[in-house]
Amino acid sequence: MKTNKVKILILALIAGLVLLTGCTPTQTVKTAETAKEDTSWMFHDLVDAKFVKAHMSVPMPENVWLIDARPYKGKYAKGHLPGAISISFSDFDKNLDLLPKDKNALLIYYCEGPKCKLSHKSAQKAEKLGYTNVKVYDKGYPEWVTLKGNYGSVSAEHVADLIAENKTVIIDSRPKKTKFDKGHIPTAISLPFSEFDALQGKLPRDLNTPVLFYCEGLKCKLSHKSAAKALEMGYTNVTVFDKGYPEWKKVYGASSDTMQVKTGKVEGSIDIERFKTILASNPESVMIIDVRDADEFAKGTFKTAVNIPVENLEPKIKDLPADKPVIFVCSTGARSGEAYYMTREVRESLKDVFYVEAEIDFKKDGSFEIKAPK
Amino acid sequence: MFKKSMLTIMVLIFVLVSFSMTFASEGPEGNDRKGKYTYRKVYKACAETGGVESATPTISPADKTMGQWKEIFENKNLDEFGCKDNWAALPAEDILDIYSYFYKHASDSPTPAKCK
Repeated sequence: MKTNKVKILILALIAGLVLLTGCTPTQTVKTAETAKEDTSWMFHDLVDAKFVKAHMSVPMPENVWLIDARPYKGKYAKGHLPGAISISFSDFDKNLDLLPKDKNALLIYYCEGPKCKLSHKSAQKAEKLGYTNVKVYDKGYPEWVTLKGNYGSVSAEHVADLIAENKTVIIDSRPKKTKFDKGHIPTAISLPFSEFDALQGKLPRDLNTPVLFYCEGLKCKLSHKSAAKALEMGYTNVTVFDKGYPEWKKVYGASSDTMQVKTGKVEGSIDIERFKTILASNPESVMIIDVRDADEFAKGTFKTAVNIPVENLEPKIKDLPADKPVIFVCSTGARSGEAYYMTREVRESLKDVFYVEAEIDFKKDGSFEIKAPK
Repeated sequence: MFKKSMLTIMVLIFVLVSFSMTFASEGPEGNDRKGKYTYRKVYKACAETGGVESATPTISPADKTMGQWKEIFENKNLDEFGCKDNWAALPAEDILDIYSYFYKHASDSPTPAKCK
């Protein structure tokens, strides 16, 4: 009986050993397979982050083009290499005019890391077009942002999202009197680079708080210098809106194009017909603030509107721009009316403030219907 | 005689309809939009001094009918709102605005308040 048990035990041990040794060759085969992985899709001229950095400057050199081959909305807008332009691979053929005329210019493509093919495919296409100096930074954006001293840049649309989220401190690095006071991104605080050391107490205490710097566009170094200082101080989540205030004005409104706003019948309201005209002809001339919740905003709003839910509005009122009319909108006039009276009380000096006293039906396709009260 | 009775009935109907229409359109003439803001402000101030736990008001206009709000505000029976001192400090104009907010967005009003 005992002998049988010992036999069974030995057999089980042998079976286990066979299974174990049986696994090893399979793994070896798999590793070999991985090693033989097809790399024919890869571009022939790869460069590293050091090479990319050596060819970057503010503004970017005329003969160097850093190109983000990822999709604009989901990737580029949320973070890209400073100075990079967006030509997503899917839109390569539609955007040939964005490429330089000089075929000897240095084109550096990148996308979402070593497994991402978009930059390689774009580089191959560029070479076929006759460009002679094309490279691919294959480790791309994921590596870039993890390297010491580096940070990403974001687009205007993402800045608007950050305002709505209310988690990021937005910092204007331009001089206060000559620039910030004449117009700035809503909710931004002024911390001119020239006074960075003296005023750094304005930065958040928690070094993990996201901070975003901007200044006067792609040629302006102030936001980059400020970002570098913030990284030195230990801030862990630093970004730059490198196209800065000129781009913000382009997307969300230029103060010089301000249209005269006509008041409506109800106190504080804007004339509905005038509002419709502004939306149709010059929406950038006013600052439209959608005070509904973020989930409602995400389902549809006016093209140039920024989302600040009415619950989060009060601390931001001091930062609303004074260089153009501010118009609050919601779906019925209830929350926008509340926002209007809140603004009038918190910042009496801000005169050009209105709200839309109407029912607004925002549709998924971006269209809307405004019904004036009877 | 019949003509006279008919005329009297017609006049009575006219008076009744006119009265009911007048009654229906009756309501506070304050600023409901401003009232909403003031109402929230009262609660915020009240919460800051520990009068209520939440700075967001818990009572919504849609909790009662226009008639019920009319009775409450016209009799100044504001106990259920709490924050007695904050209400007492409000000028009459502000209370009228808040009353207008509650009345115009009551459950049986044409525009009942939603959750926001």
